[in-house]
Amino acid sequence: MRFTIQRDKLITSVQDVMKAISSRTAIPILTGMKIEAKQHGITLTGSDSDISIESFIPTEKNGEIYVENIEEGSIVIHARYFPDIIRKLPENTVQIEVDEQLQVTIRSGKAEFSLNGQDADEYPLLPQVETDNSFQMPTDLLKYMIKQTVFAVSSMETRPILTGVKFTLEKGKLNFTATDSHRLASRDVPIDAGELEFSNVVVPGKSLNELNKILDDTEEMVEISVTENQILFKTEHLNFLSRLLDGNYPETSRLIPTQSKTTIFTKTKELIQAIDRAALLAKEDRNNVVRLTTLDNNMIEIMSNSPEIGHVTEEVPIQSMEGEELKISFSSKYVLEGLRAIHADEVKIEFTGAMRPFIIKPINGDEILQLILPVRTY
Amino acid sequence: MLQFKPQKGRIIFHIDMNCFYASVEMAYDKKLKGKALAIAGNPEERKGIIVTSSYEARAKGVKTTMPLWQARKLCPNLMVKRPNFERYRKASRKIFQLLSEITPLVEPVSIDEGYLDVTEVDYPRGSIQLAKDLQQAIKNRLDLPCSIGIAPNKFLAKTASDMKKPMGITVLRKRELNEKLWPLPIEKMHGVGQKTAEKLHSIQIKTIGDLAKKDVYILKQLLGINGERLNNRANGIDPRIVDPKAVHEFKSIGSSQTLPRDTTDEQVIVQLMKQLSLQVERRIKRKQSSGRTVQLMIRFQDRNTITRSKTLPSYIDNEEDIMSVAYELFKTHWDGKPIRLIGITLQDIEEKKNIVHQLDLFTYEKEEGKEKLQTAIQELTSKYGENPFKQLDEQPKDEQPRTSFQKDFLDDYLK
Repeated sequence: MRFTIQRDKLITSVQDVMKAISSRTAIPILTGMKIEAKQHGITLTGSDSDISIESFIPTEKNGEIYVENIEEGSIVIHARYFPDIIRKLPENTVQIEVDEQLQVTIRSGKAEFSLNGQDADEYPLLPQVETDNSFQMPTDLLKYMIKQTVFAVSSMETRPILTGVKFTLEKGKLNFTATDSHRLASRDVPIDAGELEFSNVVVPGKSLNELNKILDDTEEMVEISVTENQILFKTEHLNFLSRLLDGNYPETSRLIPTQSKTTIFTKTKELIQAIDRAALLAKEDRNNVVRLTTLDNNMIEIMSNSPEIGHVTEEVPIQSMEGEELKISFSSKYVLEGLRAIHADEVKIEFTGAMRPFIIKPINGDEILQLILPVRTY
Repeated sequence: MLQFKPQKGRIIFHIDMNCFYASVEMAYDKKLKGKALAIAGNPEERKGIIVTSSYEARAKGVKTTMPLWQARKLCPNLMVKRPNFERYRKASRKIFQLLSEITPLVEPVSIDEGYLDVTEVDYPRGSIQLAKDLQQAIKNRLDLPCSIGIAPNKFLAKTASDMKKPMGITVLRKRELNEKLWPLPIEKMHGVGQKTAEKLHSIQIKTIGDLAKKDVYILKQLLGINGERLNNRANGIDPRIVDPKAVHEFKSIGSSQTLPRDTTDEQVIVQLMKQLSLQVERRIKRKQSSGRTVQLMIRFQDRNTITRSKTLPSYIDNEEDIMSVAYELFKTHWDGKPIRLIGITLQDIEEKKNIVHQLDLFTYEKEEGKEKLQTAIQELTSKYGENPFKQLDEQPKDEQPRTSFQKDFLDDYLK
């Protein structure tokens, strides 16, 4: 195997593929990166068996030559050293060559590295994903949906299914739902997916976080294919494959209240800032609790109290309020994350009682919903 | 008479009851006075270990933690009594009541010792006379002897009270350190245990004076921040204030008990664990608190001791929950070897009024029932101040601390 490649193109691909490679893995060869040279381009592969990433560098694009002098072949290189070597090489091009003894020679300018490689035949084959069950959506929209939901997944393995985001495609509507059982984030987007429908597709939160890092903020389409136990995200030069979580995602829609006893309408930024200030005195080991109290004349009070530190109150003007007066305590962390994920200048918050979930939505729109459970104080 | 009232600095008393349990027994039964008396824990259940003894017994070589048979060998006419904690507790409470008549700045340390900050006490005849009168009052009213140390801080006061027993009054001034404190062997210093002493020996520190003169940097490397603290104390510097609330600041509540005999019988062990969990429940509830880490201690026949703990996502306070976590720990960590002692401790303690409970999407409906009660309580709370519906302070009469280390009752002396 041999090829000469533009170093910056190689660096980008290596960085993407590295997201899937872990130094701790049950299959030793997965600590390496597979490189495959074909006449039409170079494919890099990394996998930790949960996530697999393939990045393709074409021989040329728009007339610009990326790779040349290709002699086909493949090799697995130690991922611990390869990325740093490429990053620190002196020239703009890199030549990589593999001999019969699986010795990899990396040359750039006058620098020459020789690394021990491993036989690419030993590298596991990635699961093949049938592309029948697939639909397309703009990459930036997918990233947006991930960012608005993935933070709400559970970080605890006690209920593994909740560490994922549930994808549902029904009646031309794609929904992402995530909950750690203390708050829930849900986002709908209309999708033209033809006849395709699915439910109970639960993608690990970790996979989506990595995917979000790798995908560029472009309007180009990403193709999403779902099988029994895998999901594939495919862009022009990238295949991102993740396993799905086993098990049934709990039914959450019936747990979301549909009626409101108290509704407040407010500017998002002002509320975020007031809660953020109050949270300065809220202790993390006590759920970062702040208390919201409705007052007269379109004001609310945000308060936090830690006996050994001190206490803070702030009156915050709101746009308007409907319904009963209310006093409710909640985790400032959850509410701040929810408010920030809404991405709307004005929100409405619908409360159904001091011990029941409340819902944050954009002031006019139902496509995103952040639900938060309050805390009970003794 | 010296007027002991410095312009700056404080005047701290350390009151140390002499042979407390034995003295209480003697006050209770005057016939025991002047006799060699030992208090030994549960003679029937184990061979019996000396908890404390009178000076008469000590003179014959009887020491605390000595097995009873050995003590009897040294002192054939030794009288032995089982501990009666209820009696000691009552006496202790009376002592602290007496102390709090002098100043509110009383910090109980254990059942039989405490600190007093008398700086602001206006006693016309001076602090030394105050100590003498206090000592006499305890003697006259409760028939109990004590030693009092007088010094500008806690460490020196405690050191001083130890210098003359029984019925001693010792003043330790900063300028007397080089003659009174520094010649003492390092093992005698409060806060230096066996392990620390060994470490200090390794850098040629034999006396408290050696420690006082040693370079702080070296001490810090050897003992961490405690090295600097000990060096300060050896130089008579101790910034700790007398804090009447210190006794409330408990971080864990635990009970332990030795089995009648070493056993591998799971039924017996589980029985004891339930009993211990129940004791922990009673004590934690008395404090209107909850904890969320359960620690299990197992001491094996060979005296090897393991402690294993588990932290929960939420706070617990009842026997059932404590037991279930303790049992889980037991199942995971017991290798089947004979067990001598079991201890169960609840840690990460927080007062109930500071605890919040994060509701859960999948269970909140079950908890809703409590909401109505909650709102009612909240309304009354905002009307009348703090939650008027405290849980009843249940404490059956026969409930007593099982060991001298349980200090819970010390917060009661002002009630």
